[in-house]
Amino acid sequence: MLGQLIASGIAIGATYALMALAMVIIYKTSEVLNFAQGDMAMLSAFIAYMCLSTYGLGFAASFTLALAFAFALGAFLEFAFLRRAKEPNVLGLIIITLGLEMVLYGLASWRWGSDQKDFPFPVSDFEVHQLGGGVVISELNLVTLGVAFSLMILLFLFFRYTKVGVAMKATQQNQQAARLMGIRVGRIMMLTWGMSAVVGACAAFLIASTDTLDPNLMWTPQLKGFSAAVLGGMTSLVGAVLGGFILGVVENLFGGYVSVEFKAVVAFAVIVLILCVKPSGLFAKHYVRKV
Amino acid sequence: MKKFMVLTVLVLALALAGVAGAAEVQGVTDTSIKIGQWGPQTGPAALWGAVARGTGVYFDLINSEGGINGRKIDYFLRDDGYNPNRTKAIAKELWEQEKIWGFACGVGTSPGMAVMPYITQNNIPWVGMATGSTHWAYPPKKTIFAVYPLYPDEAQILTSYAIDTLGKKKIAFFYQNDDYGKGGLEGAVRELKKRGMTLAADVPVEVGETDLASHVLKMKKAGADCVIMWVYPKHAAIVLGTAAKLGYKPQWMACSTLSDVALMFKITKGLWNGMIFGNFAELADSKAPLMVKYRAAQKKFAPKERWGVFFYAGFGFVEPMVEGIKRAGKDLSVDNFVKAMQSLKGFQGIMGPITYGPERRQGLKKIFLAKCVPATAEVQGKKITYGKGVRLSDWLGVD
Repeated sequence: MLGQLIASGIAIGATYALMALAMVIIYKTSEVLNFAQGDMAMLSAFIAYMCLSTYGLGFAASFTLALAFAFALGAFLEFAFLRRAKEPNVLGLIIITLGLEMVLYGLASWRWGSDQKDFPFPVSDFEVHQLGGGVVISELNLVTLGVAFSLMILLFLFFRYTKVGVAMKATQQNQQAARLMGIRVGRIMMLTWGMSAVVGACAAFLIASTDTLDPNLMWTPQLKGFSAAVLGGMTSLVGAVLGGFILGVVENLFGGYVSVEFKAVVAFAVIVLILCVKPSGLFAKHYVRKV
Repeated sequence: MKKFMVLTVLVLALALAGVAGAAEVQGVTDTSIKIGQWGPQTGPAALWGAVARGTGVYFDLINSEGGINGRKIDYFLRDDGYNPNRTKAIAKELWEQEKIWGFACGVGTSPGMAVMPYITQNNIPWVGMATGSTHWAYPPKKTIFAVYPLYPDEAQILTSYAIDTLGKKKIAFFYQNDDYGKGGLEGAVRELKKRGMTLAADVPVEVGETDLASHVLKMKKAGADCVIMWVYPKHAAIVLGTAAKLGYKPQWMACSTLSDVALMFKITKGLWNGMIFGNFAELADSKAPLMVKYRAAQKKFAPKERWGVFFYAGFGFVEPMVEGIKRAGKDLSVDNFVKAMQSLKGFQGIMGPITYGPERRQGLKKIFLAKCVPATAEVQGKKITYGKGVRLSDWLGVD
């Protein structure tokens, strides 16, 4: 049972990790917590569903279109709403994302209704591989793990070695200085939102294939992703991913050995604990703002 | 003294006039009755909001046949999003501004609980709330008539079927950690206690939970050969998927809230196959004359709606109300209507037998069981597999 709890924890942790990654990307450049993250992803999943079920497109075409939509949506929301805020402070921007969350949720409920839908996926969650000792992991779990790790590595390389990535980090550290150095801050922000939305959409596709698709799809995963990001460190990509895995495993062990009834509060206990003990997160360097 | 007499006569006359005025019942004219309903059309519970739209189609059907005793029904549907605060505002608005006569159905325990005091206080007729909670009928309230079979009773029936008919020995209960799930749990425990048995495992799940591996492992470790579930459709789908992955294959059983078999088969990608579940109304493909008639009404008045159990339950929950109004005749005062409702004995529409009495406000106390089997159909030249229910039992009750 221990082995299976850990394996299942890692599997679910991979979806938390993806959501955490999406949140960290935006936080890294603007220190804004994006509460619309989950519902942006949910909307993209609905677009994929529409392409698959209504228009009968293939998986590759549908997912590509939906990811393109996610990117456009992210960039648009930044351009149309966040950038319009007058003399914004971080709190104001966070409130804007909360508003966006409600708009997107309403939009999905209105367009697709709230009947649960089954989300078709090319990889099965019932085809399992034996890991020895009766411990199993499904093909879908493996794909999720693969996606989480590859996105993490890609993003890591992107932020470290590309010009745009470095510009993004510069934007976070000092917007004004970045602007003076010739970085087009607005464009950088738009790009960040787009990228973040794409990562979130990947998470939503993977989550919807084991769950059912409805407008509430991403509510819990977003909260879990947020806890994972806090746990690992809001500014660290590697931290966010590891935070996701740790959270998944801790939750499952708690559910298996302590109490299934209180499993749902583990994530929140983790947030509180980490904020008290090590506010910067387990894997991020303590960041002190230069005055 | 003479003055006093005159005054007395005047007061009496006024009082009498007042009584005569009161005989005019709010929301009723010679040609119409105003009936209201709340139901979530948006938000997390909107799946069950189909009930309220079903009621609307049922009223359309009645109106197209000339109404009840010459009165057409004026229907007011309001979206409360399953938010009790909004339900309160809606009840007040419909009663005080639209001046309706009574309420039909209403989805959800907590929205209903929020307005029950208001409805009792104002003596408003309310029939057929779409929830199996015990709060409506116990203790009985004069104007409130429940239809939906009680969750504890239903769980008891499922449990005894598992033991007596299926020969299961170790039963686990998987339930939503709130009033709804605990109602089911209570019934299962009661039935087992009668036989000197206990649950092999009782596993609660929180509404927001999405990872159920530890839940499934707990039931598997307990060696349960039958699992009864009292959860949201979403959790039913996730738990079946997780169990399939972990190689756990008990006999699954489910509450009537999960009796929308076509939907459940689809969202579980076929894993619903073999599920045994409770039913409070006829199966979707039933050939019962009323079902055929209602389906035709749906095709005519709301062709875009899916013919799912919660949609046609919107017909079934108000059938007794319509019958009561019919029996009350021209005088639709609350007292007369209550008297008419109390005369319903074993009344049957598309649901089980419904009985009320001076002290009885729980109308339906029976369910029947059905099993999900796969079926195939051809849709636009493509063969598709869907799930349908096959009846396993007659209407069953608890003693």
